[in-house]
Amino acid sequence: MPLLEVRNLTKHFGGLSAITELDLDIFNSEILGVIGPNGAGKSTLFNLISGFYPPTQGRVIFEGKNITGLKAHEIAQMGIGRSFQASTLFMKLTVFDNVFNAYHMNYKNAVWKSFLHAPSALREERVAREKVLEILEFMGLAGLRDQIAHNLPHGHQRILGVSIALATQPKLLLLDEPLTGMHPEETLRMLDLIKKVQRRNITIVLVEHNMDAVMQLCNRIVVLNHGRKIAEGLPKEIRDNQEVIEAYLGTEEGD
Amino acid sequence: MGSQKRMNNRNMRKIWISLMGVCLVLALLPQLTDSAYLVHLMIMACINIMLGLSFSLLFSAGLVTIGAAGFWAIGAYTSALLVMKLGLSFWAALPLAGLAAALVAFVAGIIIVKTPGVAFIIQTMVINMILVQVFGHFEIFGSWAGLLDIPSPNSIGPLEFTGKVASYYLVLALLLVNVLGSYALYTSRVGRAWRAIRLNARLAETLGVDLFRYRLAAFMISSAGAGLAGSFYAHYFQSLEPGMFSVFKSIYIQIYSILGGLNFYILGPLVGGLIMTFVPEFLRVSKEIEPIMTGAILIGLVIFLPGGILSLPERLRSLGMPFFGRKKETKFSQSL
Repeated sequence: MPLLEVRNLTKHFGGLSAITELDLDIFNSEILGVIGPNGAGKSTLFNLISGFYPPTQGRVIFEGKNITGLKAHEIAQMGIGRSFQASTLFMKLTVFDNVFNAYHMNYKNAVWKSFLHAPSALREERVAREKVLEILEFMGLAGLRDQIAHNLPHGHQRILGVSIALATQPKLLLLDEPLTGMHPEETLRMLDLIKKVQRRNITIVLVEHNMDAVMQLCNRIVVLNHGRKIAEGLPKEIRDNQEVIEAYLGTEEGD
Repeated sequence: MGSQKRMNNRNMRKIWISLMGVCLVLALLPQLTDSAYLVHLMIMACINIMLGLSFSLLFSAGLVTIGAAGFWAIGAYTSALLVMKLGLSFWAALPLAGLAAALVAFVAGIIIVKTPGVAFIIQTMVINMILVQVFGHFEIFGSWAGLLDIPSPNSIGPLEFTGKVASYYLVLALLLVNVLGSYALYTSRVGRAWRAIRLNARLAETLGVDLFRYRLAAFMISSAGAGLAGSFYAHYFQSLEPGMFSVFKSIYIQIYSILGGLNFYILGPLVGGLIMTFVPEFLRVSKEIEPIMTGAILIGLVIFLPGGILSLPERLRSLGMPFFGRKKETKFSQSL
């Protein structure tokens, strides 16, 4: 059974259709690349899966449960984490606090215990702090933990974005253009990190424009164009697919 | 982690020591002065501080209100009516007043919390205006003439709460409970969720924070705080009239927090409330020109010191004045 099933998914904005009758399966522990020209509907797909938009039609099924129409925080609680296209962080907070905030939904103790600073709640918080450090260590940000996020270089901010998503302990991680604006060295580092995350049994879907990176990283690739799936397959199949090449290079209709 | 923790511990100890010092001075104040007028001003300052705390609590969750005075009024009227019409003890009416304010906030919040930002601000203002009209219109609230002869808080055994000094100790205790409660909230995961919402609601949502519930909770708790202050106010002042609770008062409440510093959720209202209670009195400005003066202060503040009075040391440091020590990278003040 796939981890996530997208069935007949459609999203209209006014008269414009961003996604049309999309079917998609995401399998456990794979890295799935979603590519396509600008305006193909990749970001819309992410926003539909993570609950920011309700779909016009169709269903999203996660681990056999229908999650269509759930709110964003409910979907996050089910185990779907995401990082954003722009560096969406808590800019005024330290690196540590950024990731610590992401521990929000992992607390088991009742809220009033946290309010009263009960020993069990404090213990839980200590454990959470240790886990935050573990994630920072894992992502190579431990040395920067007291830095204000705003002051970090772009590459580190993107890594922090992924760290935050990782701290929610997702089963499925959606990465929206994690390599944008990175120089080659940072790109290599991010690719390594994404592979490391996958080895923790976390399924990854990523939208990315850097073709070399996508071909190297992904187990499977789905190509969208004008909101429809035009191809799906292994990286080398996609590379040789005539329709994909046309979509990217443009045919008589242009792009 | 180690160094940061140690620093936090040292900061914490410093804060607790200074807090206890402040408490001691406040507790001894009536013994140091014979002036009933001064004690009265201190009582008013404590009420204003509590209202400022209520505003700041909501602000910590990223919501701005211009309706705090309305919920203050709900607390005041509820408490007064429960004692006068139903014969309840003040000590029973006090929590019920807070509860009533929270309840109204719950009903209103279900609708208005869904549209944070400017819409929320305007809607809180309108709620404040409606409440004033309601209190002014209905006979049971004493219409526009208001309620008179509200009894003082009941005595507990030998403790009486009729005089100024006794009232002062009572309001001080209320304020202390309010401060400790706020502190406990801000350092709990509720406070952290509020901070996450304020700094980046969209990101907070993907971290599993239920925006609606946390915003609603902030609105209710903040209103309950204002309601408690209202209950004490009614029985201290012993008369109420709707005009006291106008939107103007809500704007003043906002100023207490902004003047002290919006990033200082507890110390900000403390400093701002004290200044805004005492300075106009000492300058002996007439009621007509007071708003003009306050407006001028506020405009000056927004231009020259947008972080409030408590941000002054940091601002001076960033301007390179060595006297105020090294510039700190971590913003510990954010959590207080």
